[in-house]
Amino acid sequence: MLLEVRDLHVEFRTRDGTAKAVNGVTCSVDAGETLAVLGESGSGKSVTAQAVMGILDMPPGRITGGEVLFQGRDLLKLKEDERRKIRGAEMAMIFQDALSALNPVLSVGDQLGEMFVVHRGMSKKDARARAVELMDRVRIPGARERVKQYPHQFSGGMRQRIMIAMALALEPALIIADEPTTALDVTVQAQVMDLLAELRRELNMGLILITHDLGVVADVADRIAVMYAGRIVESAPVHDIYKAPAHPYTRGLLDSIPRLHHKGQELYAIKGLPPNLMNIPPGCAFHPRCPMARDVCRTDVPPLYEVTPSDGARGSACHFWRECLHG
Amino acid sequence: MAEPILEVSGLVKHYPLTRGVLFKKQVGSVKAVDGVDFTLDRGETLGIVGESGCGKSTVARMLVSLEKPTAGVIRYRGEDITQLSGRALKAVRRNIQMVFQDPYTSLNPRMTVGDIIGEPYEIHPEVAPKADRRRRVQELLDVVGLNPEYINRYPHQFSGGQRQRIGLARGLALRPEIIVADEPVSALDVSVQAQVINLMERLQNEFELSYIFIAHDLSIVRHISDRVGVMYLGRIVETGRDAEIYDHPTHPYTQALLSAVPVPDPEARERRERIILFGDVPSPTNIPSGCRFRTRCWKAQERCTLEVPALAVPAEFRPAGGPAAHDSACHFAEEKQVVPPEETR
Repeated sequence: MLLEVRDLHVEFRTRDGTAKAVNGVTCSVDAGETLAVLGESGSGKSVTAQAVMGILDMPPGRITGGEVLFQGRDLLKLKEDERRKIRGAEMAMIFQDALSALNPVLSVGDQLGEMFVVHRGMSKKDARARAVELMDRVRIPGARERVKQYPHQFSGGMRQRIMIAMALALEPALIIADEPTTALDVTVQAQVMDLLAELRRELNMGLILITHDLGVVADVADRIAVMYAGRIVESAPVHDIYKAPAHPYTRGLLDSIPRLHHKGQELYAIKGLPPNLMNIPPGCAFHPRCPMARDVCRTDVPPLYEVTPSDGARGSACHFWRECLHG
Repeated sequence: MAEPILEVSGLVKHYPLTRGVLFKKQVGSVKAVDGVDFTLDRGETLGIVGESGCGKSTVARMLVSLEKPTAGVIRYRGEDITQLSGRALKAVRRNIQMVFQDPYTSLNPRMTVGDIIGEPYEIHPEVAPKADRRRRVQELLDVVGLNPEYINRYPHQFSGGQRQRIGLARGLALRPEIIVADEPVSALDVSVQAQVINLMERLQNEFELSYIFIAHDLSIVRHISDRVGVMYLGRIVETGRDAEIYDHPTHPYTQALLSAVPVPDPEARERRERIILFGDVPSPTNIPSGCRFRTRCWKAQERCTLEVPALAVPAEFRPAGGPAAHDSACHFAEEKQVVPPEETR
């Protein structure tokens, strides 16, 4: 297994109290596999990614438990300088907003080349040549001329390509992409997702795709982990989950998207709001919004039950997953 | 057929680009909206879709008289509102209200919800006498599904979805006939989006509203709209009833846009034909000659550089009629189904 996250807990200490952002996340990605982590804002998906990358702001953030095993090594036990060697070289991240993730006062070539100078000890001239190669690889037209330009001179889609190029520079084994296409227009979104999927295949990388978009997930993912209030509530191969969700939250999400074909009927809406992370409901965190909730849901936190039959490992954190699956 | 409540023709908005501080001279212009025509019937929802920079928000701002058009006519009940000013304009504005995209910045953080929703009455006191306002605001809160007791709370005490409900309540305060909604749900989470869309549909029936619904999300636009216009670089390139546009698109841009929408069905992955457009949208300061889509179009030929295609029913579909016979601004329009039929779960 390339990456295994076991029982990860992250909290944020704030003036108003402790926000429990991640509450026991367990998931894994293999080489060549795409795992989509799906969740709404505040579900803990980005915080999980930041903890795995080691870029969580601490304080106020604190990892209070768990293991992050990358190629067998527990990253949480490493010293910062050891982690820095892994970050960028062996695992890399693509951020949502390329304009704020890129340095506005450095040329694109300098920023791409920096990867080679810092991690590989290359000369500036060689690094510049590698930067041009990378820009070609992510199909930025006129790479030789544009390498001297600054981020603001590129369009949104092109900037996201530069982010991808930067993540790929040292051919890492794992890429974490946090909402990589959310800020882009649909037609550009399709270009960027296609590019990312193709490069992942070519380099046989593991990809963790963090998103709130069920459509994007269906297009590229092999497996999905659905997050709610800092926990994974359902984890399954992509075909299974769209065919028959085994958690009422997943079901609610799937039913609430307007589909191009279903018109005229009222949309299904999950009632209520996502919980406040300072005050997560007892028992199953979803129970106040759940149409299937019963007494046991208010008191007992559901474990991740194994769901069968399935094409692969499948789990649901619902006491009544069987009912959900069949009804 | 009833007379349209809103008629827009030849709508143009150009922003001048100037150079020099003391002696300003115009060196060009941003052609944000470059000739848009449409009509809106009473009780109808017209969806306008397009990517960022296509001019859809500028159209919205001109409809509510926040921007003055460079040229063109906006007729509300037969009267051109672009030429109005003073009292007459104020009267029209009462009937055309707007709901904004970002519920975080469109509500004043220092005003209570009651003041925000009641503010339209300060400007149009004839609608509600002072003594009656508080009760009206509470009614409005109730109508949009918020607790009327929240009247003294501030915007930061509400979630994004609740704030958008407040925005809707403010839009409804003056009992307008038309609501222009500019990306009203794109800042919201999926599960909350559905709540707000359902609310908008309910309000439409209850108050006989007409909507101009602007969005970049094609599935949401289809869900709520009776008719749809697809905008590209300041113009509507294809327009028709929702089924005509979604199931029988004839303009290559619409086809590409539809084929790029991620479909929440992994089984469709293999069956779908993806049209991936190359390049980016050209700058609105320098619009291509002829057909403005030709620089990204796979069908472009010489004729497309020379002749601007008119938005009309293409000649080849005219005799046969049917769903493909709707307005499409393409010299080489052909029907193509790009969204695979979805099996219901």
